[in-house]
Amino acid sequence: MSSDNELPVSEQRLGALLQQLEVALAALESAPSFSRPGRAGRVFDLARRILLEPGGCAALEQRAQAIEQAGTFADSDWAEPQRLQPALTPASLGSPQAETVVIEALSELRLLAVARGDYVHPLLSAEQAHNHLTQVLALNLSRIFAFSGEAERETQGRLAEVPRALLRYLAERIGYEFIVDTMIDEIWRLLGQRPLMVAPVRRMIDQMALCQANPEIDLGTSGQGAARLVSSLYGPTQGSREDPGIEAYAGRLAGMDTAALQQEATGMARAMHDTGLVSPYHPVLLRYLLDHGDHLLSEALGLSTTGRDCLLCYHQLIRALIDAVAHPATAQGLYGLALLLERGILYQPPLAPALWRQLGLLLSESSRQRLRLAYGDAATPEARLLEGVLCMLGLPLGVGQGNNPTCQSARALSMWAYNDPDYLLQMVTWAARDDEIVMHFEGQPISSNASGVGLSHGMALDLDPVSLLVVPHLDRIYAEMGRLCIGREGDPHRWVNPEFHGWWAGRGFHICVDIATGGIEDPETFYRHFYAAYHPLYNGNQPLVHPQPAGIAVTDSAARFIGWHAITILRAAIGPDEGMRVYFFNPNNDSGQDWGDGVQVSTDGNGERFGEASLPFAQFASRLYIFHLDPQEEGAPAHVSADELGEVMGYLRRSWGADRLAPA
Amino acid sequence: MEKNPDKGYIALLGWSLGAVEAAAAFDRRYVVVAPEWAEEYCLQHEIPYLPWNFERLNDRSMEIAETLRDMGVDAAVPLFEETVEWAGAINSVLMQNPRLHGQAVLFRDKALMKRRAQLGGIRVGIFEEAHEKSDVVRFFKRVNQTLLKLDGDPDDPIHLKAFDKAGCLGHRVIRTYEEIDAIPESEYPLLMESHLDGWEFAVEAWVWDGKIQFLNISEYVTLGYSVFVPATPELEQYREQITRQIELLIKTFDIQFGQIHPEYFVTSDGTMYFGEVAYRPPGFKAFELIERAYGFNAYQASMLVFDPKATADEVAAFFPEPVKDAKGHAGCFGVYPRRRVVSRLEIPEETEQHPYFDYHELSAPLEATVTKRTAFGTHWGLMFFFGDDPHTLRDLLKHQESLDFYV
Repeated sequence: MSSDNELPVSEQRLGALLQQLEVALAALESAPSFSRPGRAGRVFDLARRILLEPGGCAALEQRAQAIEQAGTFADSDWAEPQRLQPALTPASLGSPQAETVVIEALSELRLLAVARGDYVHPLLSAEQAHNHLTQVLALNLSRIFAFSGEAERETQGRLAEVPRALLRYLAERIGYEFIVDTMIDEIWRLLGQRPLMVAPVRRMIDQMALCQANPEIDLGTSGQGAARLVSSLYGPTQGSREDPGIEAYAGRLAGMDTAALQQEATGMARAMHDTGLVSPYHPVLLRYLLDHGDHLLSEALGLSTTGRDCLLCYHQLIRALIDAVAHPATAQGLYGLALLLERGILYQPPLAPALWRQLGLLLSESSRQRLRLAYGDAATPEARLLEGVLCMLGLPLGVGQGNNPTCQSARALSMWAYNDPDYLLQMVTWAARDDEIVMHFEGQPISSNASGVGLSHGMALDLDPVSLLVVPHLDRIYAEMGRLCIGREGDPHRWVNPEFHGWWAGRGFHICVDIATGGIEDPETFYRHFYAAYHPLYNGNQPLVHPQPAGIAVTDSAARFIGWHAITILRAAIGPDEGMRVYFFNPNNDSGQDWGDGVQVSTDGNGERFGEASLPFAQFASRLYIFHLDPQEEGAPAHVSADELGEVMGYLRRSWGADRLAPA
Repeated sequence: MEKNPDKGYIALLGWSLGAVEAAAAFDRRYVVVAPEWAEEYCLQHEIPYLPWNFERLNDRSMEIAETLRDMGVDAAVPLFEETVEWAGAINSVLMQNPRLHGQAVLFRDKALMKRRAQLGGIRVGIFEEAHEKSDVVRFFKRVNQTLLKLDGDPDDPIHLKAFDKAGCLGHRVIRTYEEIDAIPESEYPLLMESHLDGWEFAVEAWVWDGKIQFLNISEYVTLGYSVFVPATPELEQYREQITRQIELLIKTFDIQFGQIHPEYFVTSDGTMYFGEVAYRPPGFKAFELIERAYGFNAYQASMLVFDPKATADEVAAFFPEPVKDAKGHAGCFGVYPRRRVVSRLEIPEETEQHPYFDYHELSAPLEATVTKRTAFGTHWGLMFFFGDDPHTLRDLLKHQESLDFYV
């Protein structure tokens, strides 16, 4: 002990704890499976004490690889870091359970080591890790800056020091300025895709607003771009500039003349269309304008001539919709309404009556409970669902699957909102009112209540209101359709996709993967058919008529295979760079992904509409493994050039085809 | 670990994760005999397993002994008080020695145990069996009359214990007549003992070939709260006398092999009083403490001394020399919440940062309201400490009693 005496007490303690950790990790690594929980518990407890010591985070970061390889994360949600959701970290870091806090902390330090390039992880690239950490920091800014609430102290006590120490350390290693600026970029990138679920983005903006308002936080020169985001929510117009509060704003409106109201209306609309986010002041204004003629309503919704025509044509319905949805808690519905009007879909005869039905819809008790559970009591379940319906009809490509394995159901909802909106409204009615959906598979009715389990287990709450109510039914029906195909030769999607999505999904079907072996079979012929059916230079310049379901093999940034995924092909067209691109919808919550080997899915800047993702045609084809087509419209596969095929084959060979192609 | 077919095949009676871990890492074949609820877990983790319900004694009871014999099992090791008699019965079949069962019954019945000890010339306190409330009242009165108490003097307490339960389970201390009224009918019959004002300690001894192979003295800091090994020099000074006492015990109970866990009091004049003896691992994780202090696994030690195929050389090589070979002193403290309403676990900073603090097995509270303790109750988990100086450790353990771990 004598040689340690020169060291400060805390360093002595840290040294001793790290030695104990080494022993505990070795014990965990060599443990038979039944002893693992106890030994992992020992590791977590030591890690917790180390995190509380000065220099503890750094010491654990250095040992990240050893910690993971000892099996610390095995059999837990943290075992697959590529699937971790930053949005869940505020809950896990705020948990009163020490083990939850510590395993999350260890996982973040592991990601830090990966992001810094010190730890080459088999499942996750440095960029992925870096993105993840930036989002984690953004979502937990308040903890970094220590304006912690009483509540946190009360539930966590001294344990609250662990996440704080962790986040400060992460922020130091990554750089504060960088966080705020990256966070702003990240927010704009996400908003560019116009997701239906804006709550996480709103939370990040709230965090920035809190930081800006706190004089103790010096953000340096960073965060300049934050103002536009914060003001679009909390002060988009002259009358609301200093975030006066809903009551005060309503009072001000009463004193404004028409010119001032016009200015308010334009300001609100501009902020809304700029960001896709609706300020809580916006519904106050719209409700007030209900008594001031259609012109100001149209201005406040920021409508073009198409939208304005729709508004005038159906003004009674639109007023009823505004009256039902214009509340600060469901403000987002106004953006959905504006885009719904712009799409002109109200001119489809069934839609207006279907929306009237929606307005008077009586929800079942279980539907109400579900909506309350997911969104709380700030708005009635009816208003919440209406907000969701309007948003989905306005932004069909904003649907996301949340953290659930239900990409087919999300894709179907999006496709109906896009292509068959009154059918979507019918589905919503059945699900919300009757708690049952019946679909038919080759003439045989399938009830969502009679079907067994779906793909998703447990109740998912991280969904938009429509998905929240409809997806559980669709998921079970989809799974049942799959079961009815058991025993048929080949891939069940061939029969399920057209029956599940709609008549327009082509009955012709191509797949390049042998289901039994997982090997890729005759890819050239597969690509020839795809080009002949979808590529305008080979199909007689025929634009795609209906959105088509398709299956892709998703790869990570190192071009390694991750899994099969359902998407919708929307169109193929020449992009701004004169190259042919495929524009598609990915029900994954964030389409902007790096699929490796230079295949970078773009969501913005290459001619995409809101919510679309796009890739150059050949790159897209290389990740495709299933597509549908009309058997009468096969095109001329023989005309596809060898150069084109060669390019696709190259992308395939360098990615998921590497170990699936038969040796040449 | 690679199993050696030339060595004994051991059945562990009762479910104990620590014992299974030890067996998995030992060179002997083993099988866990446990109730059916353990089956799924054992299957999942490939633990050799045989289902048996120890609570049901009937005419099928011979079946388990025969099954184990047919499997080629050589010895059964009891892990809990409830399996001691089973082990005796099974071993009497496996080793063809009918007396082993009778011996086990002595360990299970505290009244019989004390009588046998008394017959063997071992000094015990005053004890009696109680079948109803009036027996307790009479005993309490008589004990205090013997002590020449005057009216108004506080009465000396008496101890009540269930006949066949382990350690502190069912242990009550009676200080007033009102407390006698509070004893539920269901606890009768029970054993009553006079209170001995002395220093209470426990021994863990491994016996093989009728001789002590290793003798550990566990020092209680506060009964039911804290214990550590090896003991302070003040208690270790009695090691010679304690060894004599244990040898007397071995002779009286005719113990050839096994692991015993007796409790004694030593009074200020150095007289030893026998409390009770158990033929199984002690509660309070004393096995873990011994392993932490000496480095050998105490479950493996028990498997070894039960194994009829163990050799003298192997036994001699297995055990270290007491006290001298200890790497330090290991102790543990049982945490009871001190507040009536608790919301979370929070280990006091001074405890957590003490260089002797090793690890803990406390879990977060499941309920906010703490039920009032009856009898000695059960602790909510253990804190483990390890350090060089037994006095520092003892004072540290004592000090924990004044701290809140659940707030």
